[in-house]
Amino acid sequence: MQKVKVSLTVNRKKYNLEVDPDERLLDSLRDRLHLTGVKEGCSIGECGACTVIIDGKAVNSCMVYTFQIDGSHVLTVEGLEIDGRLDPLQLSFIEHQAVQCGFCTPGMLMSAKALLNKNPNPDKEAIKTAIEGNLCRCTGYQQIIEAIEAVVKKDGSE
Amino acid sequence: MKKQSKGVKDRPRISGKDFNQYKYFRPKSKKELIRIINGFQEDLTIIAGGTDLLVANYQKLYEIKNWLDLNLLDELKNIKMFDDKVEIGSMVTHQRLSKLDQIKELFPVLHQAAADVGSPQIRSRGTIGGNIVTSSPAGDLLPPLLIYDAKLKIISGEGSRVVDANEFFTGPKKNILKKGEILEKIIIPLKEDIYKGAWIKVGKRKALIISSISLALNLSMDRSNLIKKARICIGSAAPVPLRIKTAEQAILKEELTKINIEEVAQIVSEKISPIDDIRGTAKYRRQVALNITRKALSEVMNQ
Ligand SMILES: Cc1cc2nc3c(=O)[nH]c(=O)nc-3n(C[C@H](O)[C@H](O)[C@H](O)COP(=O)(O)OP(=O)(O)OC[C@H]3O[C@@H](n4cnc5c(N)ncnc54)[C@H](O)[C@@H]3O)c2cc1C
Ligand code: FES
Ligand code: FES
Repeated sequence: MQKVKVSLTVNRKKYNLEVDPDERLLDSLRDRLHLTGVKEGCSIGECGACTVIIDGKAVNSCMVYTFQIDGSHVLTVEGLEIDGRLDPLQLSFIEHQAVQCGFCTPGMLMSAKALLNKNPNPDKEAIKTAIEGNLCRCTGYQQIIEAIEAVVKKDGSE
Repeated sequence: MKKQSKGVKDRPRISGKDFNQYKYFRPKSKKELIRIINGFQEDLTIIAGGTDLLVANYQKLYEIKNWLDLNLLDELKNIKMFDDKVEIGSMVTHQRLSKLDQIKELFPVLHQAAADVGSPQIRSRGTIGGNIVTSSPAGDLLPPLLIYDAKLKIISGEGSRVVDANEFFTGPKKNILKKGEILEKIIIPLKEDIYKGAWIKVGKRKALIISSISLALNLSMDRSNLIKKARICIGSAAPVPLRIKTAEQAILKEELTKINIEEVAQIVSEKISPIDDIRGTAKYRRQVALNITRKALSEVMNQ
């Protein structure tokens, strides 16, 4: 099968990939790079489980062809951990018990991360807006919002 | 070994033999774009943000043979301000429309509608051009574009044409765009009048929801504070975004505080042609049309 050549930086590492012409970023990340933290829920943009950050923006990876983002920087939940240290958001999710079954968690974290990168001091409304595209069937959202708020507060007091 | 993701397993894949016929174009300039449209006779599928295309074609993406990807066309991502108009490139995303102060100031209704689209993930990819060309009766940017008298510039191998947004839509998911035509930009005229506007989107919840019905309102006031021009447009309640011209006429030259809200709301509710679907019955939509017209008019009275 003829492939399309794409180069991507994923979690700070450069990859030259040859992808199928009908391959979504979700497929490339999971099946080629084995980044299975990226989850497939609905496949049509509704649930946010597949959320990754492309060039600073939260994006559903089920809604993008890999060939479309040649040259881009992609961050997945695996890339939040640096040198064995978890991201403050991850620590806060653990501390606030914002994880139950965990299926929505990688997507939630990436939406929250995209928000904090742009706006380190979001209010509660901004937090809710940032995760409005991420469905969680378990937690009722409260703990997730608290976990994100706690990171914001900690940041502010430093 | 490549594992198939869930849901994809039934999707036939392109076989190696066929693929030589498949083409993928990614022009970097308008000139290159035109050259491709002119030089390529087969069907080309245009892709912008892909948020409508990937849903519509999820089960049959493999059927698409030739892609024309607009994502590298920086010329289509510009927003240009002039004294008498603003030009918005078709590749401008909902996210940019909802974050730009200039858009908020000049066209608050468009700004608000863009902020209400889908979710951050959808707003960061979905474009104004894709929203227009999809031509869904529920396309949230369409009523705002109609109340600001937007024009659409369409380009093709043969040249270009400019049409009124109000004449672009011909039915649910139907429009006047012909094969080989590309929507280049949206042109919104700027007037010196003071605008008063409102946007109301009704759906079952706040985020990620297709409108059951929506309303966009814009009133231009003259110097003596009379209504000089009125635009009321309803979305999701007719085959196309629908301007309610009888209601617009009814409030012309009125003082804002003297508008007969009930009369206008009745006209709007009668003029729409809603259907029963999963997002609501026709009867429900007529009732809600009454309510949101009342609400929008009271909102502008308090501005
Ligand atoms: C989960 C989800 C939620 C959504 N929520 C909303 C919502 O709340 N409100 C709403 O209005 N929409 C919503 N949408 C629909 C969609 O996101 C928008 O209509 C978006 O603006 C489409 O733009 P796009 O760039 O992604 O279009 P694409 O999918 O790339 O293209 C759509 C169509 O337009 C054609 N096209 C695109 N650009 C051009 C051009 N410049 N010239 C000629 N043809 C062109 C394509 O060929 C295709 O047929 C939602 C979609 C999803 C998946
Ligand atoms: S799998 Fe992508 S949004 Fe649900
Ligand atoms: S923790 Fe189970 S879906 Fe959110």
